[in-house]
Amino acid sequence: MTTTDTSPRTAPTAEPAGSGSRIVPIARLHVVNRMQVLLVPAMILLFILLVNIVVWWLIVRSVTDPVDRADALDGLQWSGASFYVFVYAVVLGAQAVGFVFPYALGMSVTRRDFWLGSALAFVGLAALYGAFMTLFAVIEQATGGWGLGGRMFTVLYFGGEDATWYQRFGLFFAAFLFCFFVGAVVSTIYQRWRVNGMLVFFAALTLLLLGTAALITLTESWPAVGSWFAATGAGGVVAWSLVITALSAVVGFLLIRRSTPRG
Amino acid sequence: MTAVIEAEGLSKHYRTVDAVDDVSFSIEENTITGLLGRNGAGKTTLMQLLTGQEFATRGTIRVFGESPVENAGVLQRLSFIKESQKYPDDFKPKHVFATAPWFFPNWDAEFAARLIDDFRLPLNRRIKKLSRGQLSAVGVIVGLAGRAPITFFDEPYLGLDAVARQIFYDRLLEDYAEHPRTVVLSTHLIDEVANLLEHVIVIDQGRILLDDDAESLRGSATTVVGTRAAVDSFVGGREVLHRDSLGGLASVTVGRLDPAERREAAELGLELGPVSLQQLVVQKTGATTSGIEQSA
Repeated sequence: MTTTDTSPRTAPTAEPAGSGSRIVPIARLHVVNRMQVLLVPAMILLFILLVNIVVWWLIVRSVTDPVDRADALDGLQWSGASFYVFVYAVVLGAQAVGFVFPYALGMSVTRRDFWLGSALAFVGLAALYGAFMTLFAVIEQATGGWGLGGRMFTVLYFGGEDATWYQRFGLFFAAFLFCFFVGAVVSTIYQRWRVNGMLVFFAALTLLLLGTAALITLTESWPAVGSWFAATGAGGVVAWSLVITALSAVVGFLLIRRSTPRG
Repeated sequence: MTAVIEAEGLSKHYRTVDAVDDVSFSIEENTITGLLGRNGAGKTTLMQLLTGQEFATRGTIRVFGESPVENAGVLQRLSFIKESQKYPDDFKPKHVFATAPWFFPNWDAEFAARLIDDFRLPLNRRIKKLSRGQLSAVGVIVGLAGRAPITFFDEPYLGLDAVARQIFYDRLLEDYAEHPRTVVLSTHLIDEVANLLEHVIVIDQGRILLDDDAESLRGSATTVVGTRAAVDSFVGGREVLHRDSLGGLASVTVGRLDPAERREAAELGLELGPVSLQQLVVQKTGATTSGIEQSA
């Protein structure tokens, strides 16, 4: 050192330099690219809706027999047209850990704050996406299926035709939350154990699903499974999904605490 | 002077390699320290340990007197700019400069804008599409404008041209003079940064080879050039760091010489020359020159 500083130096301490918690800034990191988080999914969803409306219009125009038409429209309650948004949420959840985690550590945050901030972002986005879907479901309900008897947002898995808006919102919200956290926790397994972790995880998952299917088939309990879903209803199934969501949140936290992003 | 970084018996062992092996050192507050060594010497791992990104196998680390691992109070005062930094998909440089101030309380937006200009960095291009040099510039700007009390630069110059590297060194020195802070710079372009460094730590195969003031290192070795016979008689029993011979001439690097020894060499008709930091490191790490990149 060439400075001639003679003033007494105070021992440096670990006092934070001003700003407090970083949980909110981390949550904001996830939504800084509005295009990716808001605009793109909304636009794709609207495009799918448009395509569906054209298809419904073709059905209404070309199927003239009222019985056949009612039959065709009845099948729409099983429509999976909105499925893509939930896949998008899984991908966003995975990217949150895959891309934002290495960046956040580069911004000198703790893994704990990263996970809490991400969870906050997931809750916020699930509420936003849920509200958007609810709005469209309410419009769909009020316009008698966009004037054509079409169904895309009032499908059976999300409350069907007669659910109230808050029932719909609750179902959408829980479903999005599930998708975000499941995407995130799988990505965390990758952060922690890389390719080997992925191989083991998906092998274990496949065996688990196969084993469950085999067990149900061998004990001839498929009807019982079907009636459980019918009895539990959409609300019940989504409530059960919250258990997996919570489990993902806890497991993800424990894994990320021991993870190091690699270049 | 107070030590802001202290490592004691620090080791990081991976399955097949001891990346950092029983290392102890300390770094003083408000100095620029060079962390020098060959590729794979353990420089990056050491910095990852000091910034809490990697977990130590053994040993202790104290940064501002506390362990940095998952310690928000410590981490908030650190900045770690690494060559391999990943950015979120679809991020553009403008997103980085919009978000970095949330995490670095001393962020100077004006300084950042000036650096963006200096490096001619396109703000609106996807990070994925930036050239290697432009990508490095993003990190350099975050590290400089963030003004964290301790800033680590891990080979921050990759892909930067000579002009851009000089800009980095100049701005670092200027800003350091105005806003003193602790800087740890890992590099193998040693000649380029030699004048910046106040302290030098040389690491090789996970162990520390040298840990000294740059000033005292500069005079710590001398090259003696002359006829082989004269050189041999002068060198005698001294420890020889390095020897080159060409026909009847010899060039030998020895340790520090006192004035009497210098007179003796002059009387023997020998030429004395300084040894650059880079040559010193090359010789200490037992490498041929090709092991360390020649500065461009």
